[in-house]
Parts: sequence; structure tokens; C-alpha cells
Amino acid sequence: MLRIDDVVKRHGALEILKGCSLELPTGGVGVLIGPSGSGKSTLLRCINGLETFQRGTIEVGGVRLNAADPPATRRDSLAQIRLRVGMVFQQFNLFPHLTALENVMEAPVHVLGLPRDEARDRARGLLDRVGLAQRLDSLPHQLSGGQQQRVAIARALAMRPETMLFDEPTSALDPRMTGEVLAVMTDLAREGQTMLVVTHAMNFARKVATVVHVLSQGRVVESAPPDQLFDAPQHAATRELLHEAQAV
Amino acid sequence: MWRCVFTWCVGGCVAWTGWLGIGHGTGGAVAAAEPLTWGADREGGGPYLYPDPASPARTIGFEVDLAEALARELGRPGQRHVQCDWSQLLEVLARGDIEIALNGYEFTRARAARFCNSFPYYIYQLRLCTRQSDTRLQDWESLRSPPAGTRYRIGVLEESAADALVSQEFGTTCDVVRFSGSIDAFESLKQGKLDATVQDNPVVSHYLGPGGLYPDLEARGEPRSEGLYVIYLRGSDLPLCQQLNAALERLRASGELQTLYERYGLWNDTQARLPQVWNGWDSAPRSGDLPSWRDLGRWIPKLLQAALVTIQLACCAMPLAMLLGLTVALGRSWSTPLLGGEGGGWGAWLLRTVLGAYVELVRGTPLAFQLFVIYFVLPRMGVTISEFWSGVAALAINYSAYECEIFRLGLQSVPRGQLEAALSLGMSRPLAVRRIILPQAIRTVIPATANDFIALFKDTSVCSVIAVEELSKQYSIVGKSSGLFLEAAAMAAVLYLAMSYPLSLASGWLERTLKRSA
Repeated sequence: MLRIDDVVKRHGALEILKGCSLELPTGGVGVLIGPSGSGKSTLLRCINGLETFQRGTIEVGGVRLNAADPPATRRDSLAQIRLRVGMVFQQFNLFPHLTALENVMEAPVHVLGLPRDEARDRARGLLDRVGLAQRLDSLPHQLSGGQQQRVAIARALAMRPETMLFDEPTSALDPRMTGEVLAVMTDLAREGQTMLVVTHAMNFARKVATVVHVLSQGRVVESAPPDQLFDAPQHAATRELLHEAQAV
Repeated sequence: MWRCVFTWCVGGCVAWTGWLGIGHGTGGAVAAAEPLTWGADREGGGPYLYPDPASPARTIGFEVDLAEALARELGRPGQRHVQCDWSQLLEVLARGDIEIALNGYEFTRARAARFCNSFPYYIYQLRLCTRQSDTRLQDWESLRSPPAGTRYRIGVLEESAADALVSQEFGTTCDVVRFSGSIDAFESLKQGKLDATVQDNPVVSHYLGPGGLYPDLEARGEPRSEGLYVIYLRGSDLPLCQQLNAALERLRASGELQTLYERYGLWNDTQARLPQVWNGWDSAPRSGDLPSWRDLGRWIPKLLQAALVTIQLACCAMPLAMLLGLTVALGRSWSTPLLGGEGGGWGAWLLRTVLGAYVELVRGTPLAFQLFVIYFVLPRMGVTISEFWSGVAALAINYSAYECEIFRLGLQSVPRGQLEAALSLGMSRPLAVRRIILPQAIRTVIPATANDFIALFKDTSVCSVIAVEELSKQYSIVGKSSGLFLEAAAMAAVLYLAMSYPLSLASGWLERTLKRSA
């Protein structure tokens, strides 16, 4: 269960998020779409504290992070939220000095304190699940972009997060690699993983999402199941966005 | 001691003194109308020559008076002193920038082989000096019986007669600590780093006792081991040397020499024997004793041993410098967004400012100065560190400032996404920095650090000023002892190269290896 309530993010005089609210039930797959600069990535990054926000509340699995809380309280909440939320980045951000297997084992061993053997088994299982059982000992620079992103997904899953955040996971990939990564994400969704995905991949949104949110100029202007949203968009910003997406 | 920093670079020093001599070319015959040019070192040079306390721009001392008297006897219009580093005096003479070297240089066969030597102008003796408060050392004999389980530490001028005396006669119970200036030895003795120092009697009577710079030190036991101060001239200047001998005869006969020495409290009964010494004195170069390359052979073990000390200095200092530099770099970056900080309060600001000031202070002052502070100033505040570890500490602190800046660049070179990925996996900032950021930053900085290690390797030579017997110090000792300065310098240079070239290769290999795996 993820709830975002009236989140405002300012950067100096610029207001990037102007009071965003959305909810994602457990097992749900939310997709955030919107034109560039609408605040999609910023909203995602507020959820696990990579960005601070000035007003509002974020709640994950019963842990509340409120902008008005004193710093010490916010730090505690944030630490708990980060354990409940996994994140996949546009640029993968694999640790270049560690092999694929070590990338996936790193946090379970050093954050959860899992014994190395157990962490290694868990990591092998996950890398197998994303189709990389043969590349356990490869360093990131020896892997293709699609392979790197799949390792990154396995790395986030290794912490067994309640919710997975995907920040434009395929934007840096060519179409074939995009397919590999979206296939893994689709499998995850089918297995009931709660996910919030920022993406431009409309087909993925239509096929996999339980709900699609449209962000425009720092606000969620429309939220609906994909069929409804794609076939009968209500808001002008949504229509414009879909029109542009078709033109590409 | 400042100039000693550069001692190992003979060329530099000679060039400097040479520059002073421009326009006063003295090679070959000199017009009688020119002043007598004489080389000597006025640094720590009392009572030989030293800045007049009443007016520091003026140089006074018994050798100034002697040069003045000799110039007059030679019919010259006065004397002109040329400042030289004491240890390089004979090389300056050989170059032709001065006519005579007159600066408490004792007569040795090695020197007499290359140079004309005048009649001895003073018979000196060695004195044993210690702190007034120290009751253990009453005379020379007590040097043989240090308290059980300990050895006395005795300071001497490197390769002086005192060095030879203490090493040969008391070497079984005493450690010899070799300095390049008397003041350094007295200072160390005063601070308790030495148990005693053995010095020539003119120095002792000038600096010790009431009115001297070191009233708390005193001479014990009888003066012993006579030696002779002579004036050295180029081998081709025998006629001038003979004129000097005649002038010395006249000064003695007229009683002026005695008056001159009495003015500085240096006259004693021993000097009455000067005429006996002069009888049959041979001023010509004794080329049969001319040292050769082959004589350096027996010094090789000593030089290799000193090279080992150089390696030890560098290998102790560099890891410390890196550790310190890394700590300072992390301290400076911790509260900044670079490491996920949020700027922090005034405490974080204060830390950044203090560490920033540390880096600027250390980078902006010479290594020799830092060494000086650690070795001579810290003891006044109650912190006494041995010569070796003072050297290590100074090198480590000096290089830590450079390592800090390198590490900061290294930290900055790690993409921002790495920290974000680590934090989003639930890592704390310290864990993320230790496990994710640092390993990548360190990889980036290894080539630059290896380069610094090579630089530090050569900078260990600065430690020679505080009597650490590393390669530069040893080369200087060999040079003085054998008279083969340039040859010894060349040998030291080869050893430095032999040590730093493998490092250079290793750093190149590291760089290539890291590039491959990046």
C-alpha cells in the first residue's frame, strides 16, 4: 500500500510538484505518464527520499513520512521506507567495481546482515529469474544495457521490497533491450509485485497497469484504468499526450 | 639549517654562490688591486663569522678579522666575504668563485690531496658538552659507562674530527647523531634529544656559558684531540698560498695574531705551539693522496644502508599521508551534497573551514619548515619524537594535503547515481561511502597517488637536516669524508633513480590495469 498525499516540492522559486496525490493498493501496478518536465521522476524520487519535499505526506506500508516532521523523525521514517521500497534507475547505476552477483548480494549482506551463503542463493535465484544465470561473474561494463538493467532489477528485488519504483527504466535502451526489460517487469507484475512505473512505453502501460496517472505541470490531472484512460481520455493534457505518443 | 635543505643539490648551491661571484672572476692570477675574496658560511658560524648582533647586516668574527689582516699583509685593498654553504665550500673554491676557503676547515689528507693548504692558523681541541642539570656525564671516560641497558646519544658535525673520535673511541657505548650545523646539535641537546655533543673549542666558548646562546649547556672534562684549521686554495695557487704563509708568520711575530684571538677569547697556551707546527709544513697539493672513484667502493654498503632508510621513510610516510588525506577529504565533503549531506549546521561549516584551512596551511608552507616545527618546536610544548618519526610525520602531514585534494577529486568523479542507488537499497551514508563510493574513488586516484609517492620518495631527502641518515645525508657524509663530492652525488642520484624508476613502472602498470577493468 502506497499513498501520496498533497506533496509539494519546490526548488528555489520553482514549484515542481504542486500538490500531488495518488494511491496504489498492494499488488497494484501504477504507471505515471506525462510530458517531460511534468514532475514524474521527481515524484518518484520523493517516495524514497532522493528528493526532499516541502509539504505533504508519503505513506508506505504504514510508515508515514511527513514534510512537517522534525528532521530526526523524517530520517527514521525514511530509513524504514527505503527498506520497503526498491528503485530501478534510468541509468541502471550498477556498482561498476562489483560483479553482477556481488551487486545483487551487496545490500542483503551489508544492510540486512544476511549470511553470505544465503544472500548468494537469493542473488542466484533472482539473476536466474531475470534471465542472467550465465552472467553471474560479469562486471557491469561487460554487460549490455538491457542486461545491466535486469541486474539492477534483481538488485532491488533482493531486498524483498513491498513496492518497486521504476524511473524510466527503458529510456536509455534500444528497442530489443527495451523488450527484454519490459518482459521481466511484466512477469513481476503478474506475480503480484506492487510497482509504480514512470515510463513512455504506452503499450506496457496498457497491457500491465492496473491504474495510469497523468501528471501535468506538477499535478496529477487524471487517474484511471488503462482501457478507460487510453480509449476515453478526459483531460486535455491526457489527450495531447496520447496524440503526441501516436505521432512518434 | 635552511640551506641544508638544498645540500644534496650540489649544482644548485654552487650555481647560487657562483652567481654571487659574477663580475669578480678570480680564476688564475688576480690583480693585486682587487680585495681578497674568501668563502665562508655565516650561518651558525660563531665565533668564526656571524651577523653582528648590534647590526645584523654586518658580519663579524675572528675569521673576518683574520681575512682583513691577511689582505692588508698581502697589500690588497681589504677583504670581500662570499657567502657559501659550509659543506660546499671547497667545491666553490674549485669553481673559481673565491680565492681562499677560510672557515674552520680542518686539515685532512683527502682535502690536502686536491688543494693547497696554508700554515694552520689555529689549533683547536674537542670539548664534551652537556646540560648543566645532567650529572651523569662528568668527563670523557663516563661516555664508556651509560646506565645499564642504554646508550648515550652524542651529537657531532657530520664527518668532523668529533665524528671520528666518538665513532671510533666511544662507538661501543654511544650512538652518533650527525648534524650539519653546530646550532642544530646544541638545540637538540638543550631539548633533551641528545645526552651530549662534541664540538670544537671555539664554538663551545662562543655559544656556551654566560652571555652565550646556550647558557644552560656546559663543557665537561679536559679538551682533547687537537686538530688544525688551515686555509685551502686551488692547487694552482701555490704562490698565493706561500704569500699567506709569510703573512701568517708576520702576524704571529708582531703579536697581532694573539691580540686578534684574545679579542674573541680564543687564545690559549696551545697556540704558542703554532711555529713548531709550521716548521716543515708542506703547502703543495699531495696528489699522491688524490682520491679516486675506486675509493667510493668502500662506501657502497653505507650508501645502500642509507637508501634503505630512505625507503623506510617513504614507505612509512605515504600510507599515513593517504590515510590522513582521505580522512580530511571525507571530513570536508561529508556535509556536502557530494556525499549526500544537506549542508549541515554551523558545526559542519566549522569542520569544513578548519579542514580547508589545514590543507591551505600545509600546502602553502615548505616541507622543511614543517619538519623544523615538528622536530624543534613541538619539544618545547612537551612532545618529543625521534628523528626518524619526525621525518615520517612531516612527510605524512605535508603530503596529506595533496592526497586530500586528490581524494576529493576522486570522490567527485564517482557519478551521483552511485550514491542514490546505494541509499535506495537502504544503505546508511557511512555504509554507502565505505562500500560503494570509496572503492570507486580510490581506483580513480591510484595513478595520481603513485605519482605523488615518487615525489615523496625524493622529498625524503629533506630529512637530512634533522640528522636522519638517509641517502642525501649519507652522500654528504661520503663527500666530506672522501673529498669526492660530485662522484658521491652522482652515486646518490643513481640510487634515487634505481629506486624511483621501478615505482614509475609499477604506477604505469597500475594505470593500464585499472583502465582495462573500468
